Amino acid sequence: MKHPVLENRIRFVVWWLVWLFLAAGQALLYYFAYGSFVSISILDSILSLLIYSALALSLWYPFAIFNKGESRPLTLVTNLVITGAISVTFWVLITKLLIPLILPGQENFNEYWTATFPYRIGTGVFIYSLIILTYYLFVSLTNLSEKKSREAELESLVRETELKMLRSQINPHFLFNSLNSVSSLTITNPDKARDMVIKLSDFMRYALSKKDEQPVTLRSELENLRLYLEIEKVRFGDRLTTDEQIEERCLEVKMPVMILQPLYENAIKHGVYESTESVKITTIVRVIDNYMEITISNNYDTVTESRKGTGTGLVNVIRRLELFYGNKATLKTLRENGIYTVSLYIPANCN
Amino acid sequence: MAKIRTIIVDDEAPAREIIKHYLKELEDIEIISECSDGFSGLKTISAMKPDLVFLDIQMPRLTGIEMLEVMTEKPVIIFSTAYDQFALKAFELNAVDYLLKPFPKRRFLDAVDKAMDKIRTGSEIKEPAQILEKKPETAEPVNRIVVRKGSAINLIPVDQVKFVEAQDDYVMIHHASGKALKQQTMKFYEENLPSKDFVRIHRSFIVRVQEIHRIEPYEKDNHVAVLKTGEKLPVSRAGYKHLKEELNF
Repeated sequence: MKHPVLENRIRFVVWWLVWLFLAAGQALLYYFAYGSFVSISILDSILSLLIYSALALSLWYPFAIFNKGESRPLTLVTNLVITGAISVTFWVLITKLLIPLILPGQENFNEYWTATFPYRIGTGVFIYSLIILTYYLFVSLTNLSEKKSREAELESLVRETELKMLRSQINPHFLFNSLNSVSSLTITNPDKARDMVIKLSDFMRYALSKKDEQPVTLRSELENLRLYLEIEKVRFGDRLTTDEQIEERCLEVKMPVMILQPLYENAIKHGVYESTESVKITTIVRVIDNYMEITISNNYDTVTESRKGTGTGLVNVIRRLELFYGNKATLKTLRENGIYTVSLYIPANCN
Repeated sequence: MAKIRTIIVDDEAPAREIIKHYLKELEDIEIISECSDGFSGLKTISAMKPDLVFLDIQMPRLTGIEMLEVMTEKPVIIFSTAYDQFALKAFELNAVDYLLKPFPKRRFLDAVDKAMDKIRTGSEIKEPAQILEKKPETAEPVNRIVVRKGSAINLIPVDQVKFVEAQDDYVMIHHASGKALKQQTMKFYEENLPSKDFVRIHRSFIVRVQEIHRIEPYEKDNHVAVLKTGEKLPVSRAGYKHLKEELNF
């Protein structure tokens, strides 16, 4: 871990200001306790706390070593107490040697020293405790913010992976059956085959190349879905028809890419796949207050109603809406009179 | 030599087209009918008794697999489907081949050769009784059971099944509106009915937990399950253990 004071200019300045403040405190203390040594107590305080300050800066290194790994509390306390004792002793000794050297001619130095000695020890221990507490505070705050940023990173990673997973679910039936139609059309109607290959390519390009969760407009979503439905119409012929009523002003609303596709896929799967009659898929987009309502409905064969899917398509759409809009978007389904309807409400300002 | 009478069953017109196109060159083959859903396929096959059927799997009304389950006289089958999740089932059904769409002509002709061999040499087609024995990993859950009653085909939703009873090579499916016999194994139902709803209480019985009204001791070490309808089913020692786990008592 980096040194908390030396590695940061602001903290370095604050550090010395705090020591200046402590020095003033000590000088006042000595003055009130022994009023007779005014000049020496001021000079002594500044000098001794300057020394302590340098000492305290270097104390970080043993402290960092003590806190590395999982030492037992008793070992830690012993280490800290021994270090404290050594530091305070060292400080007192060095002060005693240095003051007469730097401030010569103080005749009453011995008297002053004896009088202030107990306070000196007290101040030493007190400041040592303060330093240890400060360092502890620093370490735990650093750990906390590191942990938070790690967690945030992990979460965004999980989210990203999840979104990718939820998206990459183009039905293989669709792909291979479409390719089979192309294969057939190359013989019966080569122009149509080429047309179909181009549509399929455009659709796949859209589905595969869009950056995840880079929002797209309703316009491009719908354009792509028309491609999808046209491809399906080649497969199913008259069995599939489509209709749409779109409010123009909604076309630029942004939404997650390929969010509607699974809903159309369901309509095909449960409608067209299971029915011998013609199935009509209707898309209605309109504005309701601050929401855009997208409704996709299809008729289905009530005889084969008992055949259900796994529901993964719908679950994935709901999960993606949650990840994208929080709880602001909703999805509703309704099965009534042989018509299956799914409605999507997305927050949007269409004006 | 008589021509091989062939039916194509596929719900997508382009898929039927390509098969027809490939078959055009083969003089030995005569296409006698085309169907676009499971029901009509089944009806046409029983009425026309073809030699060979090209069968899609995913179709309206009845899947190709379900069609074979209830077919009494089986022609030679070539499956053609887009996705390989059913390959295992298809081979267990003794289909002569399994074409993955889109398929090349050469691959298609190989399949037809195999089918013609089988038809010409008259080698016996085994009863596909044990279909669906293994559950493919990607299969969708079983949610309906297809049974035949006389000439009628019934779809029983799994939701309506009360219990399944073993009867020699068959199973009797007791459901909300009656019972139906089907050639299938208990093992299949044990593996494919939703395990949160059904418990195998005996070698010969799988029961829907919700249908059980109470469990009574019966002779030494044994129990009987009394259903809501009043029917009593034996519970074996192993079955009692399963029930205990399922119901947490």
